[in-house]
Amino acid sequence: MSNYKKTVGIEVHCELKTKTKMFSNTLNNYGAKENSQVNTIDLAYPGSLPLVNKGAINLALKAALILNCKINKLVCFDRKNYFYPDLPKGYQITQARHPIGVDGYVMINVGGIDKKVRIHDIHIEEDTAKSIHQTDKSYLDFNRSGVPLIEIVTEADMHTEEEAMAYLTKLRELFVYADISDCKMEEGSMRCDVNVSISKDDTLGVRTETKNIGSISSVGKAITAESIRQEEILENGGVIVEETRRFDEKDCKTILMRVKETGNDYRYFPEPNIPEFEITDDEINSVKSEIPKLPDELRSEYRTLGVNENNIKTLISNRELCSFFEKVKEFDPIITSNLITGDILSYLNKNNLSLKDIKLNEDNLKELVKKIKNSEISSKQVKTLLPILMEKGGNVEDIMKEHGMVQISDDSALQTIVDKVISTNPESVNDYKNGKDRALKYLMGQIMKESRGQANPVTVNKLLIETLNK
Amino acid sequence: MEKLSKEEVLHVARLARIAVSEDEIEKYQISLKQLLDDVEKIKDINDISEDVLVTPAFEGCKLRSDDEVDTTDFSKFKSNIPHSVGDFIEVPVMINE
Repeated sequence: MSNYKKTVGIEVHCELKTKTKMFSNTLNNYGAKENSQVNTIDLAYPGSLPLVNKGAINLALKAALILNCKINKLVCFDRKNYFYPDLPKGYQITQARHPIGVDGYVMINVGGIDKKVRIHDIHIEEDTAKSIHQTDKSYLDFNRSGVPLIEIVTEADMHTEEEAMAYLTKLRELFVYADISDCKMEEGSMRCDVNVSISKDDTLGVRTETKNIGSISSVGKAITAESIRQEEILENGGVIVEETRRFDEKDCKTILMRVKETGNDYRYFPEPNIPEFEITDDEINSVKSEIPKLPDELRSEYRTLGVNENNIKTLISNRELCSFFEKVKEFDPIITSNLITGDILSYLNKNNLSLKDIKLNEDNLKELVKKIKNSEISSKQVKTLLPILMEKGGNVEDIMKEHGMVQISDDSALQTIVDKVISTNPESVNDYKNGKDRALKYLMGQIMKESRGQANPVTVNKLLIETLNK
Repeated sequence: MEKLSKEEVLHVARLARIAVSEDEIEKYQISLKQLLDDVEKIKDINDISEDVLVTPAFEGCKLRSDDEVDTTDFSKFKSNIPHSVGDFIEVPVMINE
């Protein structure tokens, strides 16, 4: 076991889910044809001027509120100067002096222990163009240029891979539920830079920054790889250099990108083309009122409703399913959650579909749940009916009639079947009378078979026991 | 005459992503220093208030609604782009510097 303690701080960039870009009114449209969502501002034409997107400010404000930050009501921007082909105007517009939110925190839970990860700040900035690199040329797509970003910077509060991954998972959950960002790491709408240092005592070691990590699980791997690299250097008498590295997924190691530019190198100064402005209390309250129920609140509510932990986990991890559950849960949350996380999710996964692609809706699912709760449909019939409902839609009652699923609940009709099964299965009757419970299940099965699955199981069970005990 | 060090010139050149020859380094050691000396003169102005004047515009910031959309046809920009492949803009490779 290592004698070194890891210390991790994380910077996350999230693209905001706006219709248009941060400072230009071209569409923020991931996946569009290259350079089809651009104008003079995105391409940094001389004389073009930025115009702040109110929607982006509101989303960043929402994020800052969710992360329990103090809000800087004075909004102003700064220029971070550096030259790169993906940033042709030579500077990125960001918030260096007054980030929109400061001194926040996120609660995480690792191994049953709650921990607070402090947020140093959250600030608004603009994305650069996307670059595709070939051997001797790079190719630029400016659709991403000017897409609104928030950067969330933590304090160096995490000390294990698990804590870092729990923080990122929580952050993603919060932003997805609050409709702030898609947070799709595979599409680049959430990007993580991880600062890692190691030390044998409580002083902080020299940190390195690892960029371009493709997934939350890879963040854990990158922290392991980088801390091992640093430990080898220190154990061999070397010194850690402050530098920027990238994570190589294939070889599971970090590789030097460049020695870090320092703050001075960026020559920050106030952005003169955007006058400062203030966010009012009314605006803050309005954004607060738009914050929906967040995962922690939902988890706690579902536990109170009796939904099991596995179902809660599945629902929370899939926002679309969870939103659907919220709309249909009122009649019986347990049955509803079992259906959604069981047969429905399995059908969606198997056919690579999402809820919007199927015909199941709030009304027919509620109708089905009601029938299950009232024992008007057997679990076997549910398995037959649900795929029909998802594929063709329609009324549950009609489908049941059409497919001969209407249950026989009439006592006299069921008694006839019970009597018939008892008279044709004397051995099982004897077994039951000799205390073998399995015999009852067998007889139940025979009755269901005789009724072609249409017997009401609750009524049958009652009639069967009464008849056997006579 | 005082001048910048060779390392300082090379550092600025690296930040600007430009190559400089040995002759040019010598020239920039002097000219960049002159530039910096001119910037230093700003410190001699006595009438600097504590508030930084970012902009002389006092009308406040006009925010734009997220619903206002306007995209320019990329073909209008193409004549200004020296090299392109399809609708990608081609530039010298810019990784592993």
